[in-house]
Amino acid sequence: MTALRLAWLFGRRSASARSTVVLPVVAFTVVTALLLIVAGGAQAFFSWTDHDAGIYQTLAVIALSLLVVPLIGLGGSAARLSARRRDDRLASLRLLGATPRLVTALTVIESTLLAAAGAIAGVVLNLVVSPVVGLIPFRGQPLGMSVLLGPGWTAIVIAGIALLAAVSAVIGLRGVILSPLGVRTRERAPRIHWIRVVITVGVIGAVVLIFSALPVIGAVNGIVALLAVGFGGSIAVLNLVGPWVLRLVASGQARRARTPRRLLAARSILESPKAAWRQVSGVAMTSFTAVFAGVGVSLMDAAGSSADREAQLLLADIRTGVLITIVASFLMVACSAGVNQAAAILDRRDLYIGLDRIGMPVSEMNAARSRAVLSPLRVTAIGSAVTGAVVLFPLTGMSLLISPLTLVTFAACLAGGVLLVWAALRATQPVLARVLAEPSPSL
Amino acid sequence: MGASGSGKTTLLHCLAGILAPDSGSVVLTTSRGPLEVTGLDEGGRSRLRREAFGFVFQQGLLLPELTAVENVALPLMLTGIDRRAAEQTAAMWLAALGLAGLEARRIGQLSGGQAQRVAIARAQTTGAAVVFADEPTGALDSQTSAEVVDALIRSTTDRGRSLVVVTHDETVATRCSRIVRLADGSIVDEVSAR
Repeated sequence: MTALRLAWLFGRRSASARSTVVLPVVAFTVVTALLLIVAGGAQAFFSWTDHDAGIYQTLAVIALSLLVVPLIGLGGSAARLSARRRDDRLASLRLLGATPRLVTALTVIESTLLAAAGAIAGVVLNLVVSPVVGLIPFRGQPLGMSVLLGPGWTAIVIAGIALLAAVSAVIGLRGVILSPLGVRTRERAPRIHWIRVVITVGVIGAVVLIFSALPVIGAVNGIVALLAVGFGGSIAVLNLVGPWVLRLVASGQARRARTPRRLLAARSILESPKAAWRQVSGVAMTSFTAVFAGVGVSLMDAAGSSADREAQLLLADIRTGVLITIVASFLMVACSAGVNQAAAILDRRDLYIGLDRIGMPVSEMNAARSRAVLSPLRVTAIGSAVTGAVVLFPLTGMSLLISPLTLVTFAACLAGGVLLVWAALRATQPVLARVLAEPSPSL
Repeated sequence: MGASGSGKTTLLHCLAGILAPDSGSVVLTTSRGPLEVTGLDEGGRSRLRREAFGFVFQQGLLLPELTAVENVALPLMLTGIDRRAAEQTAAMWLAALGLAGLEARRIGQLSGGQAQRVAIARAQTTGAAVVFADEPTGALDSQTSAEVVDALIRSTTDRGRSLVVVTHDETVATRCSRIVRLADGSIVDEVSAR
């Protein structure tokens, strides 16, 4: 009951209450809508029963699994956001003697309620955009309204989103519960162990060896199994080594920084390389997968130039599917970046006001914020694509020679995605302008 | 000086060009003649704060992710000075304020008094003609408070610069040459203390 009463007190209107509530809700709205769109698309494929349906269904499951992970990541960051946004108050509660259980319950209640509200808004958004999604052609025809999920599945998605928010909130709060003073003073710079690199190099080496053994394996099932192991292993180690790489790059940038914007951006990343990675990790998977798919489509294109109409339609559909996956992934990263940045401005309003006091131009602050996201994004997109190219080494070179246009198209999509994230960051500029225009009287 | 809500901080913000007053004007005497602060646009006031003013606040408003020397060097870098030169000047100021050897520490690794001296160094590093300090000792114990005020005066008025302090601490006020008391947004008393 105490937790409920406190949740009610924290949830009442206050100076920053609107932003505190709106930001996580917007994030969950986008997560839900994208999840419903992706699942709806997969459902459309599963309604087919002809002899080619199996191929489409397999590809749909791969695309779904690729997008579900970053979707969960975005959902998690939205939940952590609603928890993190209350770090100060929760840490203060801990300092006043509140039990970890009370702090946890309070956050779980808040995050779950906001997630549920966002999920319901996401269902409405999905209903609005589904006619447009239905226009996307597969096998030469638009998907139509078969992309809409039924009420049962929709309810499961809403419940899943709320559950995800609750679990993520608990995980995000561990720092506050373990060390309230650490959160309040941000005294510790995070460290990431180098053993992650050793493991990554080992796994990538093993994957290269596995792929080099593919030609001597005759059975198709064996090849598919090895490809799946290699692909899954590579994705897993990307997540393991990503924060370490971002920290390494940002350390170098901080040392070399000659301008305030570069220094601030690099130090922001170093403040939490894991958070910087979480924000862009969806792109890591997409970028890595795009290289895999791009190489595959190029090679199939070359082999199937004289194939029948059905085979050519399949190739075109795979290309469409990969492009949709890349676009959806970047949409999630852009939403995540926008929401996280807007929240970061509100969270750290005293910092920005302080910078304004000492005469830092607003354009310089915005440039520093933007750089703190775009720099890891570039490192991630390029690093993951290079990792994919290394893993598939001989094939990458071949596909570049055989069908450069396909790979150029995917590269252009990645570049477009970076621009999308940049636009999302620009959209948060009014939040900073508002904070600076209406500083707290105590500052 | 004045009670909470008397308008001390608002007055300081108007003087420093952070807020534009509803009426009246703020004039700064510069080497090139009088400058009407209230007549400047946002960009002009921002530039004035960057080049002519320094700030010390109760919370310090330092950047926790930067080291002490980077915090102090930041205003210099904002004026276009090379980072290496800026950090050399910053290190000199930190040493002058008794913080030699702590340059690479993050703000969270410093005590309240040390952090406030970093803020003083930051306010001084550009050679600000006027330093504005808003409750600079508000969060400190009495001994640390005395040390911080010493450091503040030593680095400003003792070097021929102006210091404007908002405080409700009589001990701090007695160190100033002129005390203005406010109540409900109006000046109610004005004395020269020394």
